[in-house]
Amino acid sequence: MVGGVYCDFHAQQEQSARNMLGAILKQLVIRGGIPEQIREAFQKAKNEFGGRSPPLPDMVDILKRTITSLPRVFICIDALDECPQQHRRDLLGSLREIVAVSPNIRVFLTARPNIDHEIVRYFIQVVRIPLSPTHADIKSYLKMRLDMDPDPDAMDAKLLTDIMRIIPEKISER
Amino acid sequence: MEQTSSGWPQAIGRIGTRNITDSFNTIVNIAPEIDEQHQIRQWLSPLEPQYRHQGVRTDRLNGVGQWVLETSDFRRWSDAEGDCVEPVLFCYGNPGVGKTYIR
Repeated sequence: MVGGVYCDFHAQQEQSARNMLGAILKQLVIRGGIPEQIREAFQKAKNEFGGRSPPLPDMVDILKRTITSLPRVFICIDALDECPQQHRRDLLGSLREIVAVSPNIRVFLTARPNIDHEIVRYFIQVVRIPLSPTHADIKSYLKMRLDMDPDPDAMDAKLLTDIMRIIPEKISER
Repeated sequence: MEQTSSGWPQAIGRIGTRNITDSFNTIVNIAPEIDEQHQIRQWLSPLEPQYRHQGVRTDRLNGVGQWVLETSDFRRWSDAEGDCVEPVLFCYGNPGVGKTYIR
């Protein structure tokens, strides 16, 4: 099963660690229906806490138990750098807790390079891959954009050749 | 439960006997068991990342970024089992390099 969230500068307030983990949990239980333990926790919250959403430690606990019941789980979090630092710390701390007890989990994170040191602080073993588009990637993208050109006859062959040669050279580092 | 392409269980579209349209113009199904599921999902989190995911999937260009999935680092992370597991993969890069759009 795969669960993921996209962090967004424009949604910082609602993207708390709790809400993000809750969104991941929702995706993990989509296929098998809502597990009994979540249903019970929901009823309890409804009866005793006025329906308040589960606090972060409870959410982490529910996630751990849900993940244990699944064969293999991938958690993807895009653009961690767009998440405010406090939420990011809570999220990374929670993920560390979950990873420690879940051998069947893989966590996929993306971010700008400037938060590398934070991630390394939370996880002992991190596989790190630097990303930059390849020549072939840039060319595919350019071709797609050129195919969308509403007035292709306005471009002569030389300009087309130059675009396909020069832009990939200038952009690609690989 | 089957999943629709939007990430929602198909059952939500099928079972409905009584749909109402709320003030945001989204259709809310009020069949009791579906209603409880909906409430539980809301209770778990107000975030709905599947909509963004749908957009990314639509805009993604086939083959772009494929090389990442073929690196030995990626394979080590995704395929490892037993004691040599490295559970966390971190892909980093400056804005616009395509981090969001890796398949």
